[in-house]
Amino acid sequence: MPESSETVTVIASGVQALVLNIGWIMTSIGCFMLFKKDGIKRIYAFIPGVREYHVAIMAEKEEEGRTYFILTVCYYLARYMSFLFENGSLMKTFWLVIAASIGVAEFVYGIRIFKSLCYVFEKSRKWTVLWAFFPSLTSLIWGVSKNFVPNHRTIVDADFDKAAKISKTSVEAIQSGITVNLTERTVTNFGKKYYLLKDIHLSIPTGHMVLLLGGSGAGKTTFLNAVTGYEKADAEIILRGKDLYNNYDSMKYDLGFVPQQDLMRLNDTVYYTLSDAARLRLPKTISTEKRTKRINEVLDKFGLGSVRNSQVGKLSGGQRKRLSIALELISDPTLFILDEPDSGLDGVVARNLFESLRKIADEGKIVIVITHTPDRVIDLFDDVMVLAKDAARTGRLAYYGPINDSYDFFGKKSMEEVLLSINQKDEGGEGRADEFVEKYSEMIS
Amino acid sequence: METENSIDLNYLGRIGQYFIYLCKQFRMFIFQNDWKVLPMSAVIAAMVAIAVGKGLFVSMEGTFQATFALTCVCIWNGFFNSIQAICKERAIIKREHRAGLHITSYVLAHMTYQLFLCVLQSVITIVVLGLFKVKYPVTGVFAPFAFEFFITLFLITYAADMMALMISAIVKTPMAAMTVMPFMLIIQLVFSGFIQLPEKLADLSRLMLSKWGVQGLCAISGYNHLPAVMIWNKMTNAGDKISVGGGVSVKDIMNLIEENNMRDQILDKLGEANQRADFASTIDNLFQSWGFLIWFIIVFSIITVVFLEFVDKDQR
Repeated sequence: MPESSETVTVIASGVQALVLNIGWIMTSIGCFMLFKKDGIKRIYAFIPGVREYHVAIMAEKEEEGRTYFILTVCYYLARYMSFLFENGSLMKTFWLVIAASIGVAEFVYGIRIFKSLCYVFEKSRKWTVLWAFFPSLTSLIWGVSKNFVPNHRTIVDADFDKAAKISKTSVEAIQSGITVNLTERTVTNFGKKYYLLKDIHLSIPTGHMVLLLGGSGAGKTTFLNAVTGYEKADAEIILRGKDLYNNYDSMKYDLGFVPQQDLMRLNDTVYYTLSDAARLRLPKTISTEKRTKRINEVLDKFGLGSVRNSQVGKLSGGQRKRLSIALELISDPTLFILDEPDSGLDGVVARNLFESLRKIADEGKIVIVITHTPDRVIDLFDDVMVLAKDAARTGRLAYYGPINDSYDFFGKKSMEEVLLSINQKDEGGEGRADEFVEKYSEMIS
Repeated sequence: METENSIDLNYLGRIGQYFIYLCKQFRMFIFQNDWKVLPMSAVIAAMVAIAVGKGLFVSMEGTFQATFALTCVCIWNGFFNSIQAICKERAIIKREHRAGLHITSYVLAHMTYQLFLCVLQSVITIVVLGLFKVKYPVTGVFAPFAFEFFITLFLITYAADMMALMISAIVKTPMAAMTVMPFMLIIQLVFSGFIQLPEKLADLSRLMLSKWGVQGLCAISGYNHLPAVMIWNKMTNAGDKISVGGGVSVKDIMNLIEENNMRDQILDKLGEANQRADFASTIDNLFQSWGFLIWFIIVFSIITVVFLEFVDKDQR
């Protein structure tokens, strides 16, 4: 009897292994053909983890795909560990429980990805269930059948041939202001190189207030991070005649970046918040009297004197925004950048805020502002910088120059119209980004 | 106002920044209701005193249970102190780091502030146990018991605090931190050595601060010199129901032992038979316990700094 029992166990294990292997082969073949339809390298279909990640890419769920990849690798590792121990041993059970737990998480992420895959292939969401429970068979059907075609090709969408040509026109550095010669800004994700920005060359003199305009994903924040040196690019940034990247440790105090959110400790007082910022950002050689004087100056400048002893959390939205700006202005930086400072503020408060920024620019600073409602304050700006996504989905410079000239350049009457003209068609725009990138490139060369 | 930007040394260094953030921490203690952890630790100590205080330092089993409970209290206090301390203001740290903040100053300020909280919590726990008439031994392993008891409670709390600070630096959101915390707590409890583990897993407990906490507390409590009373108590409960040979019940035998004043002698013998080498009241055991806890504190602090140095990589 024990012998026949062992035989049954061996046969059962063999059948299980066979089913698993056949399933793996079917999934690989299915994904091989699916990847062909979507322009993804077909070899990835045979690499565990990488295959799942690319299925997520195909489903336009890259972030989930990364987690899915990690979970898949961990699942295989836990399964492998379980094979190292004897059947029925505590450690084998332990690793199987770990594998099962990871499997649950993998299943949930799989559902998210497969649901999105149905959307991309314009198929009923019911297919999600089949993908979740019978991935081998489902991937094979989707791969072989001509009825399953994605509504766009993930890779071909980034069309490098149609993208505007690179101008390679560097600008000469100016002594009084900032000069940006950015060749490219790339990120590498899971072994793949992505171009976020390319070919941006411009100089902004001191005393100028510049509007940074661009659609969603055009690379506005990426550009600002590159200019400030927070995330370095393949670029040369010259501020007041000095290379920012090479002298970052000393020059970072000459930069002021006001983020979109009011990132301050709500339970501290206005005065202490500003005082701590002053001690951090001002040279330590400055006397206490001078530092206190500077704090009081900034408080008065932004109308925060009356609330100096209030907790930050008790301030109104406008006051908080002004305090956030004051934190950066305390060190009197040459380059002052604001990411949507008017978000959440009503028209009058926003107007007052921009008038304060105008005054800062008039004091000989460079002020760069991102805003989604530029037309109500456009008279306060000197120049506009327009970033646009080209056909390869890379952020490019479509225009930089005086506000009034920009209307002629784009043939539009407002900044909102300019924005619409450069936005991609699938974003409701006119999709003329590449045209303007090339036109601007020709204009400056 | 024109400032000189060319020399990096002109700006506040690590020590100066440390004091800025330390003052900020103490302001938060008042304004951000961090003080609440102190009365909370008193309430928890009181609950433990009611539940297991009676057996603490009296019998082997009572001491083992109570030291485990005290270790759990310390770990809970430490975790709760700092589990959200960093992750709740991660975006602010990123902003300040870009403006010149040294992460080492920031973490050191946190460590100093948390040290202050842990000292107070340890003192509160000792005082509350005293109020509940827990009888402390007079001498410890090499110094007065109160001193060794305080140091051990403090080190367990502080090591747990630093572990929570490390988690807070690794995760991105308070919600993630609060999800991880109970998971870490249960690992500490399961692998503390309080629960009998299979041989292959027993070594894992050496990585748990709970194991070293229990060892330290048992060592200073004179665990190996205490009587083992559990068997006696259980036999007393079942004495009438069990009889030996020709009708002599276990209770009769126990009465006979008590009449001959041999009870304490037998309990001491039972204690001797159940001594544990790792709980012996030796300097080696105590210093091993303290050493591991200090080692954990150092390792967790370094990991905290290393992870927080990457705060600039956070996405929007």
